[in-house]
Amino acid sequence: MDYSLSDEQRAIREEVRRFAENEVAPVAGEYDEAEKYPAEVVRKASEMGLTGAHFPVEYGGVGYSSLENALVTEELFAVDPGIGLCITSAGFGAEAIISFGTDDQKERFLPPITEGESVMGAAISEPQAGSDVTSVRTRAEKDGDEWVINGTKMWITNGSVGDYFVVMCQTDPDADDRYAGFSQIIVEADRDGFSADKITGKMGIRASDTAELVFDDVRVPEENLVGTEGMGFLQLMQFFDETRTAVAAQAVGIAKGACERALDYAKEREQFGRSIGDFQAIQHKLAEMHTATEAARQLTYKSAWSVDNDEDQLTALASMAKEFASNVATDVADEAVQIHGGAGFVNDHDVERLYRDAKITQIYEGTTEIQKNIIARELLGKGF
Amino acid sequence: MKVLVTVKEVAEVEEDFELDGLRVADQYLDYDLNEWDEYAVEEAVQIAEESDDDVEVVAVTIGPERSEETIRMALAKGVDRAVRVWDDALDGVDLLDVGAKTRLLSAVVEDEDPDLVLTGVQANDDSFGATGVSLASAIDFEWAAVVNALDLDADGGVANVRRELEGGVEELTEVDLPAVLTIQTGINEPRYASLRGIRQAQSKEIKPLALSDLGLDAAAVESDLVLTDVYEPETESAATYFEGDAGEQAAELATVLREKGVGAQ
Repeated sequence: MDYSLSDEQRAIREEVRRFAENEVAPVAGEYDEAEKYPAEVVRKASEMGLTGAHFPVEYGGVGYSSLENALVTEELFAVDPGIGLCITSAGFGAEAIISFGTDDQKERFLPPITEGESVMGAAISEPQAGSDVTSVRTRAEKDGDEWVINGTKMWITNGSVGDYFVVMCQTDPDADDRYAGFSQIIVEADRDGFSADKITGKMGIRASDTAELVFDDVRVPEENLVGTEGMGFLQLMQFFDETRTAVAAQAVGIAKGACERALDYAKEREQFGRSIGDFQAIQHKLAEMHTATEAARQLTYKSAWSVDNDEDQLTALASMAKEFASNVATDVADEAVQIHGGAGFVNDHDVERLYRDAKITQIYEGTTEIQKNIIARELLGKGF
Repeated sequence: MKVLVTVKEVAEVEEDFELDGLRVADQYLDYDLNEWDEYAVEEAVQIAEESDDDVEVVAVTIGPERSEETIRMALAKGVDRAVRVWDDALDGVDLLDVGAKTRLLSAVVEDEDPDLVLTGVQANDDSFGATGVSLASAIDFEWAAVVNALDLDADGGVANVRRELEGGVEELTEVDLPAVLTIQTGINEPRYASLRGIRQAQSKEIKPLALSDLGLDAAAVESDLVLTDVYEPETESAATYFEGDAGEQAAELATVLREKGVGAQ
């Protein structure tokens, strides 16, 4: 057992943090307030290789494993979750192309992400299909050598700024098996009949773009099908453990950011003639916050390590990490605001933003309740 | 063509700290690459990237094994390889003076035979600001200090430089190669190490050299300077802010200066 990071991993953490402190921190409040996508920051991040870092080297990535991805995510989210998500989500949906796509698809759709020329997304959720992916109704029908797509997608990250999307479609409504009959199809945003409507008013991660996508007789060539027709759901399922681990890392980052700011503030803020960090009530809060964050981090790293090293324990661990870390993030951000007192209730201080940003980690990529279902199912030995 | 960049890991002190004998206690120190050296590294890497010919960029540092982490970040930004000079004889030295640094770096220059040496103007720990020029003198290279713009004509063997002089005056001048240029902050925009660069840097060479490898002995690091005391200067007075428009501020300033005795006969 080895708990130390490698030299390379430490260097990643240091340089990503440096980038985030210099390029993200000064503009984080502004993009949050304006609910504006930080295109310029994402472009700079791509120069450093932060977009699509897990892509294979031949397509411009670094071929990062889940652990390195977790380190990058943690540092970016510790500084700002909204912009952090914009950077780490630039290649959302690419996993399917990397694992099941043709060489031609990889060539066309992966390098533009790492080069910072394009942004992509995964279009899965629908108004009536959130946690229950099998109720997807967006329909793709074959017409000659084209797919014709009709339907609506909801809560799509990068929806109104993305250049292409891996869209989960129903291709065979009559399939016997409830998990069969779905396919993943790439749809470019400039196709006729495609439209995106930005969703505003989000509580947190407001720099990140979220949209409703409407497909109205959108035609794409048949070669835009990713992997095998009818296998879309199963192809998607393969990555849930990785994406949940990634959300756990986001939550660890948010908790880390809240811990750091709370500690700084406790040292700096004086009341009754001394710094509030001298009071045991505050000391205990800080101790609990840092302990919980470290526990969440270790669970997350173990889940990330398991992606490459121990598949058998992965599903339960990924859900445990996601469930636990997201709770820690919301609790720790809450306590960080508490330590800031009135100052933490206004947006002069980052903790106000972190408090709002933390909540989403309990919701997306499977709610806390879904994660508990999965953990219990794994414990009781039932397949999905 | 070969460019040698001298780099130094420097300690940065936290806002609140305690002294431990003749130094700041370790727990209050963060180590990082000297700020000026960041610009020198960037300049060297840009020279290599923009040249049609093969340009090798070599970083040289004087530092203990710990400094490898910092030096490797320079490798991640595009430096090809590094040389790290360290020796038991250096372990006990509190303050390495300019002369000692010059002797060590001269020996490395002799070894590497570069066409161009870039140094930072100064290091933000001891702030001597003299090593680059002293090195140039020792190895008999042309030199220019405090360079804030550089256009290298490698084929013509000339570096066209802009130097920052006192009082906002700038000098444009030509320096024949081989040369030492001390690089000022702001000459370029240092890049972040790319993730790919960080990965590649893990397998780049950092060659350790002891004094004997450079044909030197302990006498080379003997210093005329002795560190006698380290203390925190006491804050004597707080800053005064003048308010009002420019005229009112000027009047207030004049009053203060007069009280301090300026203009008195």
